[in-house]
Parts: sequence; C-alpha cells; structure tokens
Amino acid sequence: MYAPFELDIPTDLDGALAALANGGGKTVLPIAGGTNLIVDIRAKRERPDRMVGLGEVDELLGMDFGPERIAIGGRTTVSDLLRSPEIAQAAPSLIDAARLFGGLMVRNTGTVAGNIASGSPAADLVPPLLVLDAELTLASASATRTLALDDYYLGYKQDARRPDELITRISWPRLPENSANTFYKLARRKGDAITVTGVAVTLSVTDGSCTRARIALASVAPIVRRVKEAEAVLEGEALTPALIDEAATAAADACTPIDDIRASAGYRRHTVQALTRRLVTQAWDRLA
Amino acid sequence: MTQTDVDPGTLANVQFRQVGKPLTRTDAPGKVTGRTPYAGDYVMPNMLHMRVVRADIASARLARLDVSKARALAGVACVLTADEVTDRTAATDIPGQTGQKRLDTDQPILVKDRVRYFGEPLALIAAETRDIADHAAELIEFELEPIPGVYDPLEALKPGAPLVYGEDNIVAERKIRKGDVEAGFARADLVVGNTYKTPFQEHAFLEPEVGLAWVDENDVVNIRVSTQVIEHFRPIADAIGVPHNKVRVRGALVGGGFGGKEDLTVEVYLALLAKQTGRPVRLEYSREDSFVGHGKRHPFILTYRTGVTKDGKITALDVQMIADAGAYVFLSPYVVLYALVAAPGPYRVDNLNVFAQAVATNNMYTSAFRGFGALQACTAYEQQMDEIANTLGIDRLELRRRNFLKTGEPMSTGFVPPSAIWTEQCAEKAWAGLGEPSPEKGPIRTGRGLACYQQSYGRLTFLHDTSEAWVGVEMDGTVVVRSGVTDIGAGQISALGQIAVEVLGVTLDNVVIYNSDSAVTPLAGTTTATRALYMTGNAAKQAAEGLRARLAERAAQEFGAAPDEIDMAFNEVFVIDRPEQRMPLVELVRTCAAEGIHRSELAIFRAPFSDFLDPETGQGQAHPDYAYGAHAVEVSVDVETGEVEVLKSIAAHDVGQCINPAAVEGQIQGGAQNGQGYALSEEMLYEEGRLVTPSFSEYLMPTAMDMPNVECIILESRSGVGPFGAKGIGEPAMTAVAPAIANAVADAIGVRVFEMPITPERVVTALQQRDAS
Repeated sequence: MYAPFELDIPTDLDGALAALANGGGKTVLPIAGGTNLIVDIRAKRERPDRMVGLGEVDELLGMDFGPERIAIGGRTTVSDLLRSPEIAQAAPSLIDAARLFGGLMVRNTGTVAGNIASGSPAADLVPPLLVLDAELTLASASATRTLALDDYYLGYKQDARRPDELITRISWPRLPENSANTFYKLARRKGDAITVTGVAVTLSVTDGSCTRARIALASVAPIVRRVKEAEAVLEGEALTPALIDEAATAAADACTPIDDIRASAGYRRHTVQALTRRLVTQAWDRLA
Repeated sequence: MTQTDVDPGTLANVQFRQVGKPLTRTDAPGKVTGRTPYAGDYVMPNMLHMRVVRADIASARLARLDVSKARALAGVACVLTADEVTDRTAATDIPGQTGQKRLDTDQPILVKDRVRYFGEPLALIAAETRDIADHAAELIEFELEPIPGVYDPLEALKPGAPLVYGEDNIVAERKIRKGDVEAGFARADLVVGNTYKTPFQEHAFLEPEVGLAWVDENDVVNIRVSTQVIEHFRPIADAIGVPHNKVRVRGALVGGGFGGKEDLTVEVYLALLAKQTGRPVRLEYSREDSFVGHGKRHPFILTYRTGVTKDGKITALDVQMIADAGAYVFLSPYVVLYALVAAPGPYRVDNLNVFAQAVATNNMYTSAFRGFGALQACTAYEQQMDEIANTLGIDRLELRRRNFLKTGEPMSTGFVPPSAIWTEQCAEKAWAGLGEPSPEKGPIRTGRGLACYQQSYGRLTFLHDTSEAWVGVEMDGTVVVRSGVTDIGAGQISALGQIAVEVLGVTLDNVVIYNSDSAVTPLAGTTTATRALYMTGNAAKQAAEGLRARLAERAAQEFGAAPDEIDMAFNEVFVIDRPEQRMPLVELVRTCAAEGIHRSELAIFRAPFSDFLDPETGQGQAHPDYAYGAHAVEVSVDVETGEVEVLKSIAAHDVGQCINPAAVEGQIQGGAQNGQGYALSEEMLYEEGRLVTPSFSEYLMPTAMDMPNVECIILESRSGVGPFGAKGIGEPAMTAVAPAIANAVADAIGVRVFEMPITPERVVTALQQRDAS
C-alpha cells in the first residue's frame, strides 16, 4: 500500500534541520501530523525517499502570549488551539476555523504549520491567520528568516519554503482595541468536510471609522489569499450598506474560483459576495 | 427519546415477559469489548493475500492483458484472468425457491474482451503478502480501447444509442393498469404534473467487503465472509463448477449491509483462488475498492401526473419511472417492480397507470439498497402530495388525510394488505412532534415537511420464500437457537433469542444462538427485504412453540392438568390457576430426557406464495404485507448561501410489535441519518462512467455535527404478519426521510428543488430562477 521510505526521528530542532539539509539529492519531507502527507503518499501523489518525523522535536511546541504579539510553535495542533482560552480571546477567527477543522482525530494530530505548508487552497487555518497579519519563522540548518504569511504562497501548491526549511513559529500582533475577527466556513456538510468557500474578516474601528480591514478567502483561487481590492474599499471609511456591498463585489470580482465536484465557480463567487457582505456587516454592526 | 403507543383495542390479554423490552442484545457485550471477530479478523496458517485488478475506463475493448511479469514476481502464487475462467458468469442473486431467474445477463467473473463499467475486474492475484500482491498488480499490463458508451438512461433509450449488451438497453419493464385513468383525469378539477430526480447512493458500511476461503479435507470450499446472504453458496458453486454441497459459506457478524452485501461481492474470487492454489486465501477491499466493488442505489427519474378534485381527492394518477440499471442487471428488475408497486404510496388511487423501466448504461451497476425502489417512489409521491396541496391551497396533512389508504382497502396491485394501516396515526404524531416553530432571523428561513410511506416487508411472494430455525433446550434448562440467518448489525439474532425465551419462559442470558453457517445451521434465507424478523422470527417462534407444547404436555401429565393450563416463566413450569403446582424447568427437561422425549424442534416458516403479478395489469399479490409510518422534519435554510440545516427530525412508525424497542430505535436513528444524507449531501458523481467521488473525502454522509436529535415515536398495532404481530423497520425507517426534508426545504423557501441531493448550490440556483421569473 505504501512505497517504502526511510524515517528519521530526530530529538531536537538542530537534528531535524540537519536531516532536512542532508538530502543528498533524495526527496526528504518533514512530517508532523501527517494528516495530508500520509494520504498523499498512499495515493502516490508524494513519493518521499526519506521522511523526518518531528514528533519528538519539542522546540516546536508551546505558545507565547506577549503584550504585543502572540506566537505558537509549528507543531501546535488544531486541538491545542481549541484548548487555549488565550487563543479564543486573541484570535476568534482561528477558533471558528479550528472548531470545524476535519474530524476529532485529525484535529488532535494535524498541526498549524502543516496546514500552512501543505499549500491547499482550501486550508482552513490560513484565512484567519492572514487576517491576523501572521508572520512565519522559517528555519534551516544555516539560517532563520521571517516572512509575512501574505508573501508565503507563490501559486497553486507552490510556496516560499525551501525543502530544507521548517515553519518553526507562527506569530501575529495582538488585535487593536475595538476589533472584530471572524471566519465562516461554507461546506457541503458541517463536520469534517472540505471547504467550498471560506471567508475571514478582521475589522478595526476607531471613532466611527474603519481603520483597518482584512479580508481573506479560501477555496476560490489557486491559493488562499487576501482581497486587498475589497479591503481598500473599507479602510478609512464609515461603513454604509452601499460601501459594504461595493467591498463584497470587489471580493467576488477578485477571486478566481474553478468548477469542481463540490461547487461551480459561479456559486463560489456568489457566496464570496454574500459572506463577505455578511461578515463585514456583522463586524461593523458590533463595533460601530 | 422514545415514546410508545399501543392501541388499547389490541392490548387484550397480551402480556410479554421478554418481548417488547429494551434488553441488552446478545451481540452487544462482544462488540462493545472488541471480542467479536468479524470476517476480516480470521486468518489461517499458510494464507495467501488477494488483490483484484480493475479496468480504469468504463466502456472499452480489452485489447491486451499481459500478466506474465506479475506471475514471474517472487511470492506470487497465482494470477487468474478470464482465460482461466472461460465463459463462467456469476449469478447475482439467489433466484428464489421457484427457480425463477432474472434476464440471463449475469456478469462474467472476469472481463474477457468487453469492459462495461469503471472498475470491472480484469484479473485476480494471490501472493504471499499484501505488499507483493500490490506490487504484482502494478506489473499487470493492459490496454483498453475505448468504445463509445452511454451514461444517461434517457440517452440509452434513444434509437442508435450505444448498446451496453443485448439488443436494446431496456433491462426490465413493468406496468400497472388499474381502473380507468382517462375517465379519472376527465373528472379531475386540476392535473398536477412534475418530474423528480433521485441520485445514486453508496451503502458506506463501516466494514468493507472481506473474506477468507480454504478447501477442507472433504474438498469443500469454505468461505468465511461478510455477507447478507450465506445462501450464495449455490451460485458460487455454479460459478466455480462444483456441486452445491461442496461450497460452505460461514458468515460472521456483519459490519453493515444496507443491501450492499446482498449480491455476491468477494466470494467467487476467493473460491476460485482457494481452489486453484489449494491454500487459504484472504481478500479485503480497501475503501476505494469498496466504492467501485459493489452496486449502488438506482437513480430514478419519476414523472407524476395526478388528477385531483378541488377538495383534494385523487381521481387519477399516471406515473412514468426510469431507473439507471448501470452495466449489469443484478437486482434491477426487482427494484423497478418494488417502485412500480409503491408508485401511489399509502394512498387510495383507483385509477392508476404506472410504467417503470430499468435501463442499462455504462455507469456503475445498481442493485439493492435499503428501500429498494419503493424509497425512490416515496421520494416522488410525497413531494407530489405537497405540490398538490400547495396548488389547491389545502393543508398538507389534511390533503393526505383525504386520500390515505385505510385498513382493509386494496392497494396499487389490488391486493388488500392483511395488517392495520396506521399511516394517519403516524402522520399526526410525527407532525405534532415538531412542536413550536423555530425562529427565523436575517437570511435564515425555516420550513416544515412531512412524508408518509408504504414499504413492504418480506420478499416478493412469487419467490416462495421460506425460513428455518431450530430451538433446543439443554439438560440444565439453557436454550440453544440455530438458524442460518445473518446478523448485519440490526440485532437480527438477538431478536430470535428474545422470541425463543419468551415462548420457553426463560431469560435472554440463558440462550446461545448459532447462526450464519450454510452447512450446519438450518437455512433461513437472506437478511434483506426487511424479512429477517418476519421470516426467521416466525420460524423461531414456531420452533419454540413446538418444543414448548411437548414440554407442556409432559408437565400437564405430571400435574394432572390439561396442557393448555400449563405456563412457563422465570425458569419454572406451573399450572396457571394453581401456581403452587410448579417445578423448575430443569427438572422437567431431565424427565423428558430420561423418557426420550425430543428436546428440540426444527420449524420452517413459509411466506404466502403467489403467482407473478399479471403482466398486463400489474394486479395481484407482490409482498406478504406492508409497513406504514411517517417522518416529519423542520429545517432552516440560509437563502444567501443555500445551506440547509435539519433542526428537528421526528419519526413515527407502526412496527406492529416491538421485539426489542432499543433495536427498533437504533434502526430509526440510522434511517434518519441515511435518508438525510441522501436528501442533502451524499453524491456519487460519475464522468463518462468514472467515479469522481471515490472516497469519504468527497462522498459526504451526515456527521454527528449534522444530525439533530432524532425523536422516535413507536406505534404498535400488533397487526403485522411477523412474530407476535410484528411488522418490520429496517427499510421503513429510511423511506420517508428524504422527501420530508425536500418538503421542508420547499416550505422554507417557497420553491422546490426537484433533484436530490438538495445541495446549497441547487438551493441558490432555484432561488435565482424564481427571482428571475
């Protein structure tokens, strides 16, 4: 059923990065939860020669709630998010996504970094992290760098991570006062389904004016992406139904969905518009 | 939550000690603790592992098949192709005791030259390990030259359409001609016409197909397999060319059937390779194999034209049904027969024309699935009732009330069901069970729907169905039941135990049941067609009563009483009006043993036998009897996204008599889930016959998060033809769920989605079309 592969199980981060650096021309893949990778290997979409298991690399665990920023380790699982009252308070959209993420077993083992790195256009944790302005720490044996999540995806299943790098940390600034942060997952059933349309919104309001708008969409483009065209309509404005409509239309115009077995492109575009309008309206009504 | 209603009129003098109680099922402890072996848990020394190699195009000519590299691989014991099993076909159903058979178009065991569906088996591999078998599969080379296929039954009916096999693509045609339909339409104030479409559905049992076969010292091929039908030993023997007594099928507790293990699955492959290699062979389907390895529910296109008076009385009904039979016949002729008989539903329609066709295509073949054609008919006739009610402006329940078939009235085939018809009682209770309406807010609309049904229990009466059971009492007063019935998870064998101990006056922990062995347990027939309780339950009751009569006669002699004055309860035997005259059962049994009185009984239960329905009019008896009930739901619909949520799901069924209410409730809960998926989210999509939803990541059954609390209202008319007046609940539990949901969605948004599943996108499209017009 599975093609044979070698498995390294390093016990610390240096060991893991060294194992990734020394591929010697072979396909070496890191594996944490494996909830995507094992499925892909079984279906022969991925054929690694060697895998580097991250299950004993404890440096990738933990959450840090600073006064300015929140940071979580790459091995943080979806269930870890759900168990954290601080995350619930600081990143409500991430909890919205985590609650409907896969099934319980997948939530218990699937990691946040893995969801980002798998590069699926339907990755549920990515729209919330995008509207939180998340930043990734990418480490290799030779260097460590940080990169805005917004700059991470280059195209369908293409990303800025080099094969010898790991996503070790994900961090984001605390939301300003008077902000709303939500995510809506539209799928063909409630539990354990691939997203048809995902919309995440952050809105910050000061003195009756929208000071910051973030809108990110899943499953309606080759990558999970922000729609800055729509954000620009809202920022600096006192929102009105007409303005929100304009932003929703801009989001629908900006997305590039396809027809697939779950839904047509036309339906996806329709729901991007409806859900953007809905989430922005709800956020504005709550804050203004 | 369960609520039970017994008609006071039927209560008289009925007092049960074991039956009707939610006892812990005999199969529960083993399953809960993991001690129960399923078919896949059996292994043998020196066992080989099998793999099936399948075609990856739906309609093609097999131009080349080269298995030489696979045969040469170290560790491969055997590779079979059609060249080694020349001209053998596998019959796809036991034909019934009359020997009647369907059209002679059984599927070849392996493709010889023509591929008719995606996934059709090309070769069988047996190897020392699963990995080697998988590797060998990759070494098999084949070339398929595409042949134009046909993937839509309407296309398949057109002149010049590609032929799947034979002279045309019509697999079966059935009709009902009753009364005077033209006169009925002439009398109507209004004629309502609509076309409804139902989809494929996958059984999705927890346990994919699996089995283990070996040849024993008597040259008998033994097959331990997950199946609903151990009596497939006959077609297996025919397929491999040995006498019927040289194949023995041993079942195991089954991890779900739903009709998907009614046809042969892995048995013939196992038998062939066990015989060929002389070694035990094991074959287990992956989930992906299972998706292409057994037939699906028939998609139907149902066109209803109903004539009604202003006050809502149906004066005439004309129904056209087209079912997609897929690439081979399997049970399609029977499925369309069920749909035909069920066409008007639980309503009195005296002027009735029905025409039902099963049509061959190069889609996956379709066969048995819970509801078996009658469910597809219900999906249409209950949506049609709502359409009529809305057109006439009559309350939907009231319209139904004015047309319900009543006890003692003739149904579609002219046959008068022998039992009580409690559709109205069920409908009222289910509808009332919805309670106060849920609030609407913003884009969320709510709606309610009701659906009633008529569903047969027991097989077609022209098949002359029988079932056997043996009941014996041991020297210490414990009880043994032996019967070939298969238990597919619904508590079939536990019910037999409950029936036997009721009659013999002991408790359920005093019984052991041996089942599901075609060689040593008395043959009980299939666990299909909502027949196991009806047929085998009656057989077990007869056997237990025969044994009890013998014991009571001896006890009467002991007490100087008449045999009908003897009762047996709580492991004791006593005189009814003189309970001080009593003895332990064990003492009576020892006396009988010492005197050579037979302590066991083998009984056969015969269903009513009939001839086939009149081929021109469709009149006559089709089934032993029918079950009636209703399902009501409340849904919310998001009119912007089209998402549907089921908020309340209320079932009310007349089960005749509960044997075990907990098991009945289990069936109702499962039926509510099965029907909800069918209505809303489950979709098997084929592109040119190729399945593009081949796993549970694409094929979406409702999860716990999608299901509301299902309320079960159990009515007991005690009028059924099963043991103690029982009817059946396996199939009926599902039949009305999907149309109830469809009616609720239409009620919520004011427009109907005529095709299932009712996906969010279809809801949005219907709303957009309404707004545009």
